Amino acid sequence: MSMRQVELPKKYHQAIVKWSERYLPDYGFLIESWDKYFPRDPEFKLCAYREAGICTKIECGELEGQPKFEVAGKMDPEQAGHVLGAIRAQASTEFGSIQQHQLTLARAQEEEEQVWILRMMAEELRHGYQMIHLLLEDDWSDVSDVSEEDMVEQILSMRTGSHILGAFNIDFDSFVDNVTFCALIDRVGKFQLAMQKMSSYQPMAESMPQMLREEAFHLAAGVVPLRRYMEKAARGSYCVSSEDIQKAFNKWFPRGLEMFGDERGGGTNVRFGLKPMKNAEAQTAYVEEVARVVRDLNVRFVRARLPKFSSGDAQKVLDKVLEHRGTEQGIAFEDLVHLPNTSFFRRRGVPAFELVGWDGNAFDDVDAYLSHLTERLPDAYRAGRDFKHYVELLTRVHSGETTVADAKREMPTLTRVGGVCPCSKSVRWVNGNGSDTVGQGSQDGVPASIL
Amino acid sequence: MTKAEVRIRALEDADIGDITALDEKLMGEYRPEVWERRLGYYLRRDPESSTVAEVDGRVVGFMLGEVRSGEFGLEEPTGWIEVLGVDPDYRGNAIGRRLAERVLASFAALGAKSVRTLVDEEMAGIADFFTALGFQAATLRPFIKKL
Repeated sequence: MSMRQVELPKKYHQAIVKWSERYLPDYGFLIESWDKYFPRDPEFKLCAYREAGICTKIECGELEGQPKFEVAGKMDPEQAGHVLGAIRAQASTEFGSIQQHQLTLARAQEEEEQVWILRMMAEELRHGYQMIHLLLEDDWSDVSDVSEEDMVEQILSMRTGSHILGAFNIDFDSFVDNVTFCALIDRVGKFQLAMQKMSSYQPMAESMPQMLREEAFHLAAGVVPLRRYMEKAARGSYCVSSEDIQKAFNKWFPRGLEMFGDERGGGTNVRFGLKPMKNAEAQTAYVEEVARVVRDLNVRFVRARLPKFSSGDAQKVLDKVLEHRGTEQGIAFEDLVHLPNTSFFRRRGVPAFELVGWDGNAFDDVDAYLSHLTERLPDAYRAGRDFKHYVELLTRVHSGETTVADAKREMPTLTRVGGVCPCSKSVRWVNGNGSDTVGQGSQDGVPASIL
Repeated sequence: MTKAEVRIRALEDADIGDITALDEKLMGEYRPEVWERRLGYYLRRDPESSTVAEVDGRVVGFMLGEVRSGEFGLEEPTGWIEVLGVDPDYRGNAIGRRLAERVLASFAALGAKSVRTLVDEEMAGIADFFTALGFQAATLRPFIKKL
């Protein structure tokens, strides 16, 4: 394995460093304390990595077997447009997740888990850096009239509420969100990166291996704390209950499913050799993997509650509780974590705005459904703008005021008031002399060209 | 022995439960905290080298290791195989060998010039396994003192 390190042109590198000072203020602490927390690990470096030795032939689609594209200009414009959209969306998610994690990073109960999340945030910063490297290294003028400087500025100007994908527009309410997000939403990221490792656009494929290596730890930074919470909950801890975890799953799992795109789509990406799987196929594999994680969490709970039971006997208890939805050996169905139905609380894709409950039951009435959501979602989340927006859309869809198709296109729009800091709504381009200039073209909101 | 369709792949976070269960089967002790910490370490350090064998979606074997420099004065990058476990019900499927092939290939790709491991002499089967893979007894001997 051989990797090439690439640093962005100074102006862009420094813009990202400035961005991190605002949204990742503990970055300096992490770097200074790296040897304390990660003594054997290579030092973190803010740069892009390009892996050598990646397959140079297109691996799927109509052009399978032909050489991969080194530059966008050699691609079909529609194909290049898809790649550009994917890069911008990926960049948005990387920077967006840092903004979300920062909201509740300080609320971790355990120092180890907090430092894991902090490291994960730094690596997401590097992933965003990697995507900006892809934007800047190629010439996209055939498929976009936005200059490279403006593209970077748009990405770095996005805030929670104006990112491209819904999962990145939702505020975190507690540290349970930090770890659940890692376990569920980063897992979608892993699937996307693994598919993009086969991209017919060679620079994208070469960017994926190191991102995937780092993503493996991000998932563990979610799953390991969740397992520990379940163990403590089984022993009667008053801190994080399995109900808290369930509600966090209910909040994030539907958004994770939607990150794969509409269940009927994805064929164009496969045809262009950009991904090997259509949306539904990838989403199904994701659901199977999350189901496995949920099973593990429940086994952890049962073993902790029934320490004298053998592995086999504990599994039998778990199976009985799940099958009868009752109580076995003092463990109730409600004590465990369950995978929500894939049609539950959806606003994109085939089941968008259907009245399907957490366990798959259908509702006839919007009010009854909203009451059901009230019981199943975290209180703090329901008090936020994302849920309010969903309630408004759902009500309008079911009263006939709007169509599902129109409702799907609506995104919660952010109207934060600037003024806390001069760079609160803008990217800071840092001049060579060290003085800052605030970008003029920045705005909250995603340009229509990439929606 | 169960003949099975075995899939060899990189370690993932979702394997923690299966590996904990396999360790319990092999060692007779349930140690979830140990495996959460240990697998968290390998997933952070080098998730590609550490390898599992999967049958019907369940882990039936694993080999954990990483490339390090500077251990015991060995400055050259060296692959270290540190933990190995195979479900006894699936022995005879060449799972250990297939795990090792993937781990060694990954170590080589990471620039390792050699691969090392420590084997308890009382576990003859393990020594035979590594010998069959081409490992030789090294001059570097472990010493221990009880405190």
